[in-house]
Amino acid sequence: MTAGQPETDHRTASAPYLLPLLAGGLVAVALGVYGRAHPPTGYAVGLAGFSGALAMKAWLTTGAFVLAVVQLLSALAMYGRLPGVTAPSWTGTLHRWSGRAAFLLSVPVAFHCLYALGARFDVPRVMVHSLLGTFFYGVFVAKMLSLPRRDLPGWTLPVLGGLAFSALAGLWLTSSLWFFVVIGVTL
Amino acid sequence: MKRLGPFYTLAAGIVLAAGLGVASAQTAPRAGTPAAGRVPYARATTNVTAGPSAGPATAEPATPDPTVSAAPATADPTPRRANYAGVAKGNGGLVALAIRDGRAIAYFCDGRVESWLRGAAADGTVILNGKGSQITATLDGTRARGSLRVGKAKWRFTAPAARKPAGLYRAAGIVRGARLVGGWIVLADGRQVGLLDVGGTPAPAPTLTPGSPVTVDGTQVSPQPAENFLDQP
Repeated sequence: MTAGQPETDHRTASAPYLLPLLAGGLVAVALGVYGRAHPPTGYAVGLAGFSGALAMKAWLTTGAFVLAVVQLLSALAMYGRLPGVTAPSWTGTLHRWSGRAAFLLSVPVAFHCLYALGARFDVPRVMVHSLLGTFFYGVFVAKMLSLPRRDLPGWTLPVLGGLAFSALAGLWLTSSLWFFVVIGVTL
Repeated sequence: MKRLGPFYTLAAGIVLAAGLGVASAQTAPRAGTPAAGRVPYARATTNVTAGPSAGPATAEPATPDPTVSAAPATADPTPRRANYAGVAKGNGGLVALAIRDGRAIAYFCDGRVESWLRGAAADGTVILNGKGSQITATLDGTRARGSLRVGKAKWRFTAPAARKPAGLYRAAGIVRGARLVGGWIVLADGRQVGLLDVGGTPAPAPTLTPGSPVTVDGTQVSPQPAENFLDQP
């Protein structure tokens, strides 16, 4: 490193990451602490029309996961990584709104998890699910806060988006798939 | 708009979660009694130390469950006092068990079919029998897990530990000269199912508010926690 590099360069180079990642980390930790510290109520308001809370969660998570696949494909198209596909002009809108819908679908699920059940570490599946759940919202907040910034390197959004997609896939595997296999594919 | 979009998204999520929180706090079952209706899933609600009368003190291998594995190897892992209530998988009926000092009473009901079962609890397991029905399950501080056979049908179930007012209730009495037995299972989320047996004929049960009497054909009967009936036939 040359002596001419001014100190302010370091700050402008590292600060853009710092804020979104810090906020995301705080959100993840706060959710985990809340899930661990408060007494689970065993009860929470959710969407009507399902046979039970678990069925509601399994299907909402499945909906969010399907939308997340739309997210992955639309993002790949926007970055020109789908061979033979030129992203249509509405790809960005599709990506934004499918992401919003996926996030909003996930909120009642996460709310029931944290409010009614809490974070638990006694069974591997539940432990992985608890950790992934808090991680997902941390990454999601980091991604949301990174989106409006123009001073971030090009790989920031793909990395955060990829992490969010992977976390959601893991959440689906440890909850919905488990539900469909163990309890059955019931509404 | 585009720059603020992500913030709107986050705000919408926060508002939705807050709305669910307010709605849940307002509609929580039996909100008048603070600790009631809550099942702390993460904690053992029952005493898992060995009871003096609970089965032989031979060093049977403990039930393979992490929550009781810390107990001494010679201890009987059977909870001395425990209540469980849960759903029969693939059936929708509810199952509840009450354990007291090595004895157990259990009840299955889906609103049309019911069965009372009794038996012994030892070594972290129960084998209960009723009229044409059987329950085998493993017990620990947090849940009972096993299978249930009623007639020819068989279901698995996992019943979390239940704390009052959740649990199993039974009422017995005489209504217009006929022997009445009523059973109710109340889950922690407020769901319940019940059935009456009036002189051998099933009849729909009135909704139970644990602790309050119910009226059957003009006669008041008081459902009691089922463990009170362990000494009766």
